[in-house]
Amino acid sequence: MPATTMENILEGRRSQPHQLIEALHDVQDNFGYISEESIRTLSQELGVPLMEVYRVAAFYKAFKLTPSGKNVITVCMGTACHVRGARLLLDQATTQLDVKPGEVTEDGLFTVEHVNCLGACALGPVVVENQTYHDHMTPGKLRNLIQRCGCQDKEVGQDA
Amino acid sequence: MPRLNSYRELEHLRTSLLEQRQPITHTVMICGGPGCQIAHSDGLVDALQKEISSQGLKDSVALRATGCHGFCEQGPVMVIEPGNIFYCHVSSQDAFEIVSQTLVRGEVIDRLLYTDPASGVKIQTEAEIPFYRDQDQQLLSRNRLVDPCSIEDYLVAGGYSALSKVLQGASPADVIKEVTAAGLRGRGGGGFPTGRKWLESYQAPGDEKYVICNADEGDPGAYMDRAVLEGNPHQVLEGMMIGAWAVGAQQGYVYVRNEYPLAVQHSRIAVEQARALGILGENILGSSFSFDVNIARGGGAFVCGESTALMASLEGKVGEPRPKDVHTAVEGLYNKPTVLNNVETWANVPEIMLRGADWFAAKGSSGSKGTKILALTGRIKNTGLVEVAMGTPINTVVFDIGGGAANGHPIKAVQTGGPSGGCLPVDKFDLALDFDILAEAGSMIGSGGMVVMDEESCMVDVARYFLEFLQDESCGKCLPCRTGIDRMLEIVTDIAEGRGRPEQLDLLEELGDTIAQTALCGLGKTAPNPVLSTLRYFRAEYEAHINEGRCPAGVCKPLITYSIDADKCNGCGVCLRSCAYEAINGEKKQLHVINAELCQKCGICRSECKFDAILVA
Amino acid sequence: MLQLVEINVDGANIKAPKGSRVLDNAFEYGICIPHLCHIKNLPGTGACRLCVVEHVTNGYSKVTTSCTLGAEDGMVIRTNTDRIRKLRRNLAEILVAEAPNSRAVQDVAVRCGVKEVRYPFRNEQCILCGRCVQICTDTWRARAIGFVGRGKDRQVAYPMGIRPESCKQCYDCVELCPMTITPCDGPIQPGQEYLCGHCESQLMVAEDIPGSCTWCRLGESFGCGRYG
Repeated sequence: MPATTMENILEGRRSQPHQLIEALHDVQDNFGYISEESIRTLSQELGVPLMEVYRVAAFYKAFKLTPSGKNVITVCMGTACHVRGARLLLDQATTQLDVKPGEVTEDGLFTVEHVNCLGACALGPVVVENQTYHDHMTPGKLRNLIQRCGCQDKEVGQDA
Repeated sequence: MPRLNSYRELEHLRTSLLEQRQPITHTVMICGGPGCQIAHSDGLVDALQKEISSQGLKDSVALRATGCHGFCEQGPVMVIEPGNIFYCHVSSQDAFEIVSQTLVRGEVIDRLLYTDPASGVKIQTEAEIPFYRDQDQQLLSRNRLVDPCSIEDYLVAGGYSALSKVLQGASPADVIKEVTAAGLRGRGGGGFPTGRKWLESYQAPGDEKYVICNADEGDPGAYMDRAVLEGNPHQVLEGMMIGAWAVGAQQGYVYVRNEYPLAVQHSRIAVEQARALGILGENILGSSFSFDVNIARGGGAFVCGESTALMASLEGKVGEPRPKDVHTAVEGLYNKPTVLNNVETWANVPEIMLRGADWFAAKGSSGSKGTKILALTGRIKNTGLVEVAMGTPINTVVFDIGGGAANGHPIKAVQTGGPSGGCLPVDKFDLALDFDILAEAGSMIGSGGMVVMDEESCMVDVARYFLEFLQDESCGKCLPCRTGIDRMLEIVTDIAEGRGRPEQLDLLEELGDTIAQTALCGLGKTAPNPVLSTLRYFRAEYEAHINEGRCPAGVCKPLITYSIDADKCNGCGVCLRSCAYEAINGEKKQLHVINAELCQKCGICRSECKFDAILVA
Repeated sequence: MLQLVEINVDGANIKAPKGSRVLDNAFEYGICIPHLCHIKNLPGTGACRLCVVEHVTNGYSKVTTSCTLGAEDGMVIRTNTDRIRKLRRNLAEILVAEAPNSRAVQDVAVRCGVKEVRYPFRNEQCILCGRCVQICTDTWRARAIGFVGRGKDRQVAYPMGIRPESCKQCYDCVELCPMTITPCDGPIQPGQEYLCGHCESQLMVAEDIPGSCTWCRLGESFGCGRYG
């Protein structure tokens, strides 16, 4: 129940402004994004001015102010992956799904993100599809991967 | 295990743990580093565990999932002692053979051994493999010895004896003197003399002081800190404790970047274990020293690797740097004296206290002592983590340890120091890895990231890549960084896309120089480095883009054309079928042709063609 | 307790309260260091970087902003060296290229010695100087507006885009904004970004008079001492 989870997040943190970022992490992990309501609640309970909570939520990439798509495709754009062709991968994903990095596709199925180095450089270029890591990716492999994800979701959608 | 209340109790525990391990005849160490994990080393660990149990060897064989061993290109890797047997590209299917042949019968499995590419010979032991032989692994080697989630492993390996020694007999001033004499310099990029930083905090007035471990490792292509923190968190903690004792801090923080969940987890476990044993908390080991550590997560901001931004983040605020006219060693976290050091810097401290400053200073060059872990990646054969003595020439790292170029394309440059560093051309590879020498050459050691580039890397594109990265990560507070980087990017993009003008090169240099001098923090101040260093050493590539409208490396899309090599094409049609833009035409078994008007240069045909017949020029 | 220290600015010995801003103290003594984002008596943020000076210490000089530099005894400051003038000029150049559509910004550019602008003009409505945020946060403590977002996306905004109750509509933010101080005759039309000269800004015709006061309109609205 959302109300209970928020209570768990606030426990031990009330009136402690320096706990804001940890609290926001918990909100993001539990709810998938930081809602306006969460921002107001955190402001009130932690004792941080509303403007500041909003600033912090908007500053850090880890916190999303809007919900993500059902599948998150993250392309690693670290230097090692870059010299192995990561930009072609990002272009492939954004062109295929017709979406800008960080945004959700119209059908809500995909978000394309880019991250600056996952620390798995020997296996680059790396693409993360939801929680699964894929190594030595090529534009062709990525196209197939996205198609597979999309097909699975469409099937589920039709059954529901 | 009960709480330890004295140095004697610590030693008793260590002895009894050693005794418990007497029956162990074999130790199997499997790398659980990031690269090997993706290649499913977890499954391998499970499979081996089952086999060891089912063959009745549970009491005599110790199986350990460790931190990164460094040879990421060959992963999953494992080492078996005794014998120092090294197996690479191991999969869970090999579990039965490994147990029954190697562990039970002592026979080596040839196909799992590493093959030396030069001689074609199989090498049996880890120590003889050229990749390892030419390194000096002081820190990374410790990863073999411990399971990061086991404080017992750390104790058996001699852990916390440095802390014990220091608390028993060294005053804070003694410790600072030793660290200063060792010549340890910050391993995070700044290269600031550690002893001097500690002295400043020690001398600063006040009772409330802090120590921080900067594990925000934001440089793309660098994962050394991750390996040390994930693989051996207790050594980092021990270093922090010694530092806290030296400066008078009671509270420490490890700030781990959000993209390293495993490092966060292992650090948290390590802290809990240390607290349970009484190595963290009140009156540690019966001394007057009380100290505790908290783990904090980053929020996905490269700028939080900068010390004042990191401290703001710890305080729950936006990660905007502030001016450092007064050092953070004097006014840092909550405006109190704070020592902030990098993961690797902290990890070096226990050995310095155990073996002495002279031992540490015996390695390295005159200005840069000790060893450094590097992340060797890019267009090179042996990608992975490498530890060498300071003063080692770049040549040794790239060719002897790295094995030279991958794919046969000649190496052109090496990029060191991440977005704050620069590119050095091949004719500068005789330079030694030394803070001052590299800085003078226009680059820097930085955190240790070393990306190798070959003739298929366009240096204008590299400059653009770093500028885009920095623009994305800039906090935006100050004009030179926010707008200056944007304008540099505007110019470099013009050049990359064929709109460059000759006078823009001088403008780039002047603007870069201005930003370097006026930006508020290190991110902005070093942002021009990639541009300035590529201009210095690869001006010809810039000029080719501007004067000839040509990208020599074949990267910048508006300046290249994809075509099919008539000599190599056999008309198989794979490219035609894979092209999403219907830009390829050809009959079966006939030469195929790319229509340049329709071609979007997406790269799919090139990645699908098995005959290397797609040309880019 | 107020402790006075002595600092040396451009050769002049100045008495200043320990820790107070070098910029403010220099101004009191008639030494004008160009600046934009700093409001007198408020803590300096060091955002615009125009007030950079050379702080000579231990034999080498460090470039730092005078609005964030606290006075310490024996400090030696140089505000008008060739190096500083060149840095200021380049900074003002990119500033005016971002937002030429402001008399105040153009005046500052003149004061900093900008003669030509080598970048394509843009037409930003906000130069992110932060004066509005400072007055709302540090003086009125209302925190009704603040900087949201990072890097290029940084902008001044209300929390979640809604004007909060703490905003009492004092309009100080508007009055202090360099973009609205003496607004020019008419905004630059998109596609015609150049210095039109309609507002009689001296940017078009100024002679090279290093370091002297140009009686800028910016100063007038800032309450600069010259205007009495």
